[in-house]
Amino acid sequence: MKCFSRYLPYIFRPPNTILSSSCHTEADIISTVEFNHTGELLATGDKGGRVVIFQREQESKNQIHRRGEYNVYSTFQSHEPEFDYLKSLEIEEKINKIRWLPQQNAAYFLLSTNDKTVKLWKVSERDKRPEGYNLKDEEGRLRDPATITTLRVPVLRPMDLMVEATPRRVFANAHTYHINSISVNSDYETYMSADDLRINLWNFEITNQSFNIVDIKPANMEELTEVITAAEFHPHHCNTFVYSSSKGTIRLCDMRASALCDRHTKFFEEPEDPSNRSFFSEIISSISDVKFSHSGRYIMTRDYLTVKVWDLNMENRPIETYQVHDYLRSKLCSLYENDCIFDKFECVWNGSDSVIMTGSYNNFFRMFDRNTKRDVTLEASRENSKPRAILKPRKVCVGGKRRKDEISVDSLDFSKKILHTAWHPSENIIAVAATNNLYIFQDKVN
Amino acid sequence: MEVQKEAQRIMTLSVWKMYHSRMQRGGLRLHRSLQLSLVMRSARELYLSAKVEAHEPEVSLQPARSPDPRLHRPREAEAEAARLDGEQPSPEPMDTQEAPRAEEAPPRGGPRPAKVSRKRRSSSLSDGGDVGLVPSKKARLEEEEEEAAASPEVPDRLQPSPAQAEGAFPNLARVLQRRFSGLLNCSPAAPPTAPPACEAKPACRPADNMLNVLVRAVVAF
Repeated sequence: MKCFSRYLPYIFRPPNTILSSSCHTEADIISTVEFNHTGELLATGDKGGRVVIFQREQESKNQIHRRGEYNVYSTFQSHEPEFDYLKSLEIEEKINKIRWLPQQNAAYFLLSTNDKTVKLWKVSERDKRPEGYNLKDEEGRLRDPATITTLRVPVLRPMDLMVEATPRRVFANAHTYHINSISVNSDYETYMSADDLRINLWNFEITNQSFNIVDIKPANMEELTEVITAAEFHPHHCNTFVYSSSKGTIRLCDMRASALCDRHTKFFEEPEDPSNRSFFSEIISSISDVKFSHSGRYIMTRDYLTVKVWDLNMENRPIETYQVHDYLRSKLCSLYENDCIFDKFECVWNGSDSVIMTGSYNNFFRMFDRNTKRDVTLEASRENSKPRAILKPRKVCVGGKRRKDEISVDSLDFSKKILHTAWHPSENIIAVAATNNLYIFQDKVN
Repeated sequence: MEVQKEAQRIMTLSVWKMYHSRMQRGGLRLHRSLQLSLVMRSARELYLSAKVEAHEPEVSLQPARSPDPRLHRPREAEAEAARLDGEQPSPEPMDTQEAPRAEEAPPRGGPRPAKVSRKRRSSSLSDGGDVGLVPSKKARLEEEEEEAAASPEVPDRLQPSPAQAEGAFPNLARVLQRRFSGLLNCSPAAPPTAPPACEAKPACRPADNMLNVLVRAVVAF
């Protein structure tokens, strides 16, 4: 298992707020993290509706110690709080998901979504500006035409780099329930958005209509037993997607079969182990995240206590199951009381699909090597990290005598949870969101 | 006994969470509400099954009270659940509680619509507390249960006649609040020898209705 060192902690704070290290505002809590397809850019969304994009510095021989640092590239307000007057409900501005589009020109495009509205943002650089207009002066004020005696051709002159983000499309009014996922299709022309009961297919160019491809809303809502929790397109097959449910099942659908994909093509479900049956079994079996592997051969799901890897060719059980924090199984009642049992953890693959990562409590996050079957628990913490330090593996003591460097289950801080992580598409660089802080760690071997 | 207490505590907690979730920004979350409902149903089933086992010796002493021993539910929780269920008429004809209720209250009868109109539903859940048009048969059953149960731990002040106090469709907030306070005041009097049920009794329709009502309450938004 490679060792990860703390390269530099990036403490994400809005520039106009003074925060101590221990307190933060609700709006600063990071709600999503996503690398773009090359790994050059890293986007974060927060509860305040803001998007902050970090860009990796170009490596230079002169500054060898600052190889590949991520610095703030652009910050913009993606979503604002809104009010649904019909239902008398406030619509949160929290960014639920960010998904990058593959880069096709000099500009970058990303999708960001809150509970109701998806937006396509264009992030572009401007390092030249035109000068020498005839009708306006350098400050932009209109000139009196009577004072214009000569004509000149405006020229482009270099200026300080400015990164501007503009909303190019707004996809609104298509979801009755709360959007939990967006996924860009491999055709790069369409994407889907999923809420609790429906999945819609959009074309990037068309904002006033979308196709509904999945609808699990029962005719009689009294019969509602499950909701959609996550959805994702296959990385290569533009006709295939999966969605997970609150019952712990995954459905794979083929859009070629029918326009409305209510009938799944494949149904992945693992029979419940009767010995693990408990009062809260139904809650902890709910899948909070589903991700295709980069190869497209496997899917990974995260429920409250485990991460599972499924082979698309085998529906009756996962091929691998990893216990994230099984010591919490006996504490489910307490976790229900403090609402932690409802936390939605995400999971990610590394670039080669050999390692998977997910978060836990106490600012711990876990990595599982699928080949060696080894796992490690690491902590994202400023106090425990120094520059260039190697992250020390942590261990939770589940019973018996606690060793010096172990932490007991009862000492875990459940307010410090890592729900969102991201892995660079090709290198061993990870981004970990711990409440309002963003940590970027890099493999020291590189 | 412990099982009952724990189940009751979970039910109370779930109701509180459901009520509290209405105050959250962004409105009710369907997934969260569904999960809370599932836990509440599990807790209720466990609670009822434990209570039924505890009361089975008592039922044999009171055969004339009711044809169905499961109707003997002097517990506040069950009474509250019945009232809550009475908000929304159950379309299920197989409910054993429905049958005696229908027998007991023929003047209120007439076939109940299987699907209550959305407008009526939402108005019943609003804070306006509109008087509903369809009387609550379950509420009446609750009154009769209370009369028959002679349970010492049911305070009279917590059991106003729903038809008098708020109409047949008390708004969800008040019902939940009443249920919450009712559950807090209820002290189980089951004999301590009742062992926890290993498996739940056959599906309790009221539990489903409660679940459905709560889900419907969510959907109304």
